[in-house]
Amino acid sequence: MDELEAIKVTFFQECEELLADLEGGLLAMQDGTSDGETVNAVFRAVHSIKGGAGAFGLDPLVRFAHVFETLLDSVRSGKVDASPDLVALLLRASDVLADHVSAARGMGDVDEALSHAMAAELEAWDGDGGAPAPAAASATASASDDDFDLSAGVAAELDDMDFGFTPMTISVEEQAGADEQAAAGWMVVIQPKSDLYRKANESLLLLRELERLGPIETTVDDSALPDLADMDPEASYLTFKVKLTTDKSEADVREVFEFVDGDCDLTITPLMAGDAPPAPAFEAPALEAAPEPVAAAVAAPEVDVAALISAATAAPAPQPAAAAPVAPPPAPVAMTPAAAAAVAAKPTTAAAPAKAPLEAPGPGQSVIRVDPERIDRLIDLVSELVINQAMIAQRVAEHGIPQSSNLAIGLDELEQLTREIQDSVMAIRAQPVKSVFQRMPRLVREVASMVGKQVRLVMEGEGTEVDKTVIERLSDPITHMLRNAIDHGLENPDERREVGKPVEGVIKLQALHRGGRIVIEVTDDGRGINRPRVQKIAVDKGLIAPDLQLTDEEIDNLIFLPGFSTADKVSDVSGRGVGMDVVRRSVQALGGRISISSRPGHGSTFTLSLPLTLAVLDGMVVEVAGQTLVVPLAAIVESLRPKPEEVRALGPTGAVLAVRDSFVPLVDIGSTMGYRANAPDPTDGVVLLVEGEDGGKAALVADNIQGQRQVVIKSLEANYQQVEGVAAATILGDGRVALILDVDAVINLRRREAPAPKPTEPMIAAE
Amino acid sequence: MIDQTTAVGERRELISFRVGQQEYCVDIMAVREIRGWSPATSLPQSPNYMRGVINLRGAVLPIMDLSSRLGLGSAEPTVRHVIIVVKVQERMMGLLVDAVSDILSITDDLVQPTPDVACDRVRSFVRGIISLEGRMISEISLDRLLPEREALAA
Repeated sequence: MDELEAIKVTFFQECEELLADLEGGLLAMQDGTSDGETVNAVFRAVHSIKGGAGAFGLDPLVRFAHVFETLLDSVRSGKVDASPDLVALLLRASDVLADHVSAARGMGDVDEALSHAMAAELEAWDGDGGAPAPAAASATASASDDDFDLSAGVAAELDDMDFGFTPMTISVEEQAGADEQAAAGWMVVIQPKSDLYRKANESLLLLRELERLGPIETTVDDSALPDLADMDPEASYLTFKVKLTTDKSEADVREVFEFVDGDCDLTITPLMAGDAPPAPAFEAPALEAAPEPVAAAVAAPEVDVAALISAATAAPAPQPAAAAPVAPPPAPVAMTPAAAAAVAAKPTTAAAPAKAPLEAPGPGQSVIRVDPERIDRLIDLVSELVINQAMIAQRVAEHGIPQSSNLAIGLDELEQLTREIQDSVMAIRAQPVKSVFQRMPRLVREVASMVGKQVRLVMEGEGTEVDKTVIERLSDPITHMLRNAIDHGLENPDERREVGKPVEGVIKLQALHRGGRIVIEVTDDGRGINRPRVQKIAVDKGLIAPDLQLTDEEIDNLIFLPGFSTADKVSDVSGRGVGMDVVRRSVQALGGRISISSRPGHGSTFTLSLPLTLAVLDGMVVEVAGQTLVVPLAAIVESLRPKPEEVRALGPTGAVLAVRDSFVPLVDIGSTMGYRANAPDPTDGVVLLVEGEDGGKAALVADNIQGQRQVVIKSLEANYQQVEGVAAATILGDGRVALILDVDAVINLRRREAPAPKPTEPMIAAE
Repeated sequence: MIDQTTAVGERRELISFRVGQQEYCVDIMAVREIRGWSPATSLPQSPNYMRGVINLRGAVLPIMDLSSRLGLGSAEPTVRHVIIVVKVQERMMGLLVDAVSDILSITDDLVQPTPDVACDRVRSFVRGIISLEGRMISEISLDRLLPEREALAA
């Protein structure tokens, strides 16, 4: 990959984050939980995407982002009111923008017609709200003239409309514009915040940019500098005052600071001819007292802050002179009003850097980008450490060293430490479910418009953390559950009106931790499950016996049966009858469970629970024919020692186990897996009653149970290939590899030898 | 094959080892490490030349009984047996052999094509024969050894 490609990859990664920020901000605006900063953040997100796209020459993306940004700018400046309709439009525009980003990335296409229509709509809206502005201001030079033609056209159409208040605002600007013409230049006061430097911006570059507009005279106000001992080397204490002689407009000057927007306090005041810059008068005493290097730096028109700080830090503490300029002058000579203001403003300056880390721990700040592979490697190493530690413990026990000995106690401590390390390392890889959740609003919007329903999605617990391995698998089931809820759960707007519900349906998507698992719930306020109908369909389709008595809960869960579909019509969205049973199977494959509960007339709740990580597994360690195997605990219903009268022969070789009035086929793990030719007498061994993914039960026969243990899952496929009957491998305390049994495959392997009857649903099997 | 692009006269290093009474070798660049035999966990539903899997510092490493793979009969591994850990494409695999002999430095012109007399299996696994000081050493084509590779080659 060449360098540019590498940067491009980073750009697209950032795009993902920016799009997420954009959508998050817009959703906050929709919920009414936004503040002025939200609008700014939304604007910056689009702006940054545009900027980056421009650098890579991604023209379609730039064009669309530009239109989008223009409207957002109007919203930001208050020219256009952020009405709910507008926010809805912006949300749809963000979807189109996301499509453009994907297309630029070479993944997927942009619906050109949609994109154009959206761009036109955005422009129209901008013209609508801010119509008179461009028309009136067209005389003023601006950075974005290219917008004006479009908007002006719209503006002309809308001239009849009464937007009396808007020209008022503009007339002020016009006034300012008039001042601009008279001004000999600008007094620019730049007070960078620490964030500016943290984002790798550089005040020196800003000053150089300013110099391009005309000759500059720069002075630095270091009055905010604390004592050397109190100084935070990464904080920003300096304020730059730039006297810029130019005929350029204020907008041109502001443009220089486009990319540090929000990261510095900027005041631009017109400088009348003959205006004396107030700052130097104040600076002078401080400068005189300053030691040589600092003074030199300050005197230079272009001040390198880093150099200044390093000069200050390098100055040895015992030198009182070095501290002098750093401390605020106790009694400033001939303090001008401006200087007084600067001093008055000082406490806020000092407070700002201290406050910043507290209020903004959001994305981008103090977050390290790490290649996931490195973390995976770390997790591998730590799990090896755990295994190694277990090996040592086993060796120590073998040598008969007493539990109370120092060695054993030290080992116990080591074990605790390694467990803690393992937990912490797993926590690094844990991610909030937000990354999955944030894709859902778009899905809901699309599905809702497809089926003609009004839906509001409420999300909770986005911060719930779960291992990366699980995150990746969450998206599909959630998508299915949401689609199902919108399509089948919610009523049509007319129906809702009839039963006295608000037309807008509410779907709640919630994530929480419960009992060491992550639980995802999708709740709708729709009609709930029509139980008599569901049971009738299941009977009609031959999925259950007609005279079967089922509890409400059992009826609700019939929708997970393969081949079940309640939709009268097969819709585009769901209802093909493959939906829920496929979801259930994929969830169970991950060691999860999915269920539904419903209250007729009030709605339904899908509940999905998954283990927090797929990297470790709770298993039962068993011995079979001299081999040590791990059976996933999630599959085991119970374990028991069969009594001779419970084992019944069936056919020439088959046998079943009587478990509370039902008969479960006995499967000898050893002979099924090919470890031994003949199955031993089940009563000599232990039976694990397991439930497969399709609900089928089996009684697995093992020789012995060693115990329950948490094991680290190791892939067999990484170096070899999939082996039938084996889900994965793990490494036990003795350093040997043990195979993790794939319960379903074992049941199926046996079936292949002797074709079994059609698998039955668990609750029905328990008839 | 990649090796054919190697200019004649360019030296390559090979590790030679014994399987039964015969001598074989593999390119040293494919060898990751050589370790003593440790008992493997057997894999069900697998060809009999797959000895099973062992723990290689946290990774699950499949072990192939080269003797059985070459049709020379299963090895009865002892502590003197050796596992040569090789990397084939992106996968790691352990080859169970009797003993490692030495490191050969050869040029490609020393490699003779596999004679026609050999059976199909040998022809697909052996990419050439090196005659050195009266010994006959067959170079193994590693990417053909894994079961699915064999299927592809067939």
